[in-house]
Amino acid sequence: MNYYFLPGVGIFGGIKVGFQFAEILASLGLKVVVATPGGEAPRWFSSSAPIVDRDLALRHLTPDDVAIFSLPHDHAALRETGARLVFHCQGTDPAIDPIVADPAVIPLACWPQARDYMTSAGRNPIEVGISISDGFYYDGAPKHARRVAYMPRRGLDIAESCMASSSNLEFVPVSGMHEAEVAALMKSASYFLATSEREWFGLPALEAMAAAAVVVTVPTLGGMDYLNSGTNCVVADSADLPAALARTAHPAAAQLRARLRSGATAVASRYRISLQRTLVERALEAELRAAVSWN
Amino acid sequence: MELTVVIPSFGLTALLRACLFHLEAGLQAADISRYAIAVVDNGSVVPYRSDQFPCDNLALVRLDKRTSFSRACNVGASSSPSRRYLFLNNDVLLQKDALRDMLQLFARPNVAVCGARLVYPDDLIQHCGVRFDAGPRGCYHEYHRRPSSSVSRAVRDFQAVTGAVFLVDGDLFGSLGGFDEAFPFGYEDVDFCLRARQIGAAVTCSQAVDSIHFSGTSNQDPSRQDASRAVFFRRWANRFSIDGTISE
Repeated sequence: MNYYFLPGVGIFGGIKVGFQFAEILASLGLKVVVATPGGEAPRWFSSSAPIVDRDLALRHLTPDDVAIFSLPHDHAALRETGARLVFHCQGTDPAIDPIVADPAVIPLACWPQARDYMTSAGRNPIEVGISISDGFYYDGAPKHARRVAYMPRRGLDIAESCMASSSNLEFVPVSGMHEAEVAALMKSASYFLATSEREWFGLPALEAMAAAAVVVTVPTLGGMDYLNSGTNCVVADSADLPAALARTAHPAAAQLRARLRSGATAVASRYRISLQRTLVERALEAELRAAVSWN
Repeated sequence: MELTVVIPSFGLTALLRACLFHLEAGLQAADISRYAIAVVDNGSVVPYRSDQFPCDNLALVRLDKRTSFSRACNVGASSSPSRRYLFLNNDVLLQKDALRDMLQLFARPNVAVCGARLVYPDDLIQHCGVRFDAGPRGCYHEYHRRPSSSVSRAVRDFQAVTGAVFLVDGDLFGSLGGFDEAFPFGYEDVDFCLRARQIGAAVTCSQAVDSIHFSGTSNQDPSRQDASRAVFFRRWANRFSIDGTISE
């Protein structure tokens, strides 16, 4: 059995990424369950993954089982169980260094920056990709010309500066919503303001690109693989973000917006779940085959 | 035994006879020779007699007092241990090729439970898989009452399927202790599927053909599932994945 261990089911991108990966593995014929505290299921995104109680799973793990994890602090507890360990790397905080250095752990990389981080430490991670839920892809829904979606959880001060300098725009917070509601909001928005600095990958910005919103963002650590300023988004340092948003939303910038929107949907199309599934399927035919449990 | 078919039944002798007639055609089409049919007479006022059902390999299992659906199923299964069990409601007219298709789906990796696509007599979907939403209804039948002709026949996995037609691996059924008899009527099938998936079993549903399910013929009380529903939510609230709509 393959267990994907998660520390909770709150609204964090890593939780959704973990569930998506577990579902992809299950769709490819593996026995996979997600282990969460108390066996609680997430309520904020759609999934069909089976869920078990994390403590029970920890007690029953055997050396024949595989424990997949992505949070560094799970490493020590899982190592004690004797199960085979797979690290699904979703961030490159130095806290992962002991995991990367542990030869008993098989590393997986979700995106190139994570791959490069582990490669520089002498590991050769298996690339398994990352994807966006199908519900985010733009379906022609009417857009509000002045609507800006933003996430207040990180970088609220930056967002407030943008609001102050672009009072003609309507700012709608994305907070505490179900994924389907977020997708509907992003598809109705003309802009997505990404203010989270030091973001590992910036999944919301990519989801906004899929939803054909023009993304105006601070730089991220892992997302620079898909963020190409001037081609599919606008990247600006936090101090410059209000001016960048105002320039992008100016009535004279219609051509720029059309170009960015077109570039954004094109790049987002590379992150379809079906494509990640194909990537994982190929990995399972190669080096990932020995890393997982087939029982 | 290759397959034991368990049919819990209360009264409705003529309907049960029609059910058995269709089942026999399905067994023949699936080319199953080593099978048993256990009709669990769940406290019918007038007990069934075997001469009422001219059917090969049929055994009547009499329960003098009407009991829960889950217990009737478990009693029927234990009367004839088998490699696989097919639990079948007495108000289902199995399409001839349904069982064959269900058995073929067992060849897919990890599949240990398979349901069937069911329609009402007017060709509206009664069941083609169970989904879960975050609203108060919890689990529900996908595409319920949509015209069958408008619903895809693509095979997909589900978190649960209905127990009205329920093919299950015998080892899995035994290892989970059968249907949980804490459920008086309803939800024992969904509970079983959720437990099965927790140990890695995949649950799928045949979509190839439509079988007829009259539904609710033995018990038409609209509150008949309330007690089971309460048991289900005590056990599973917040512990099933949300794979359906988010509101009513």
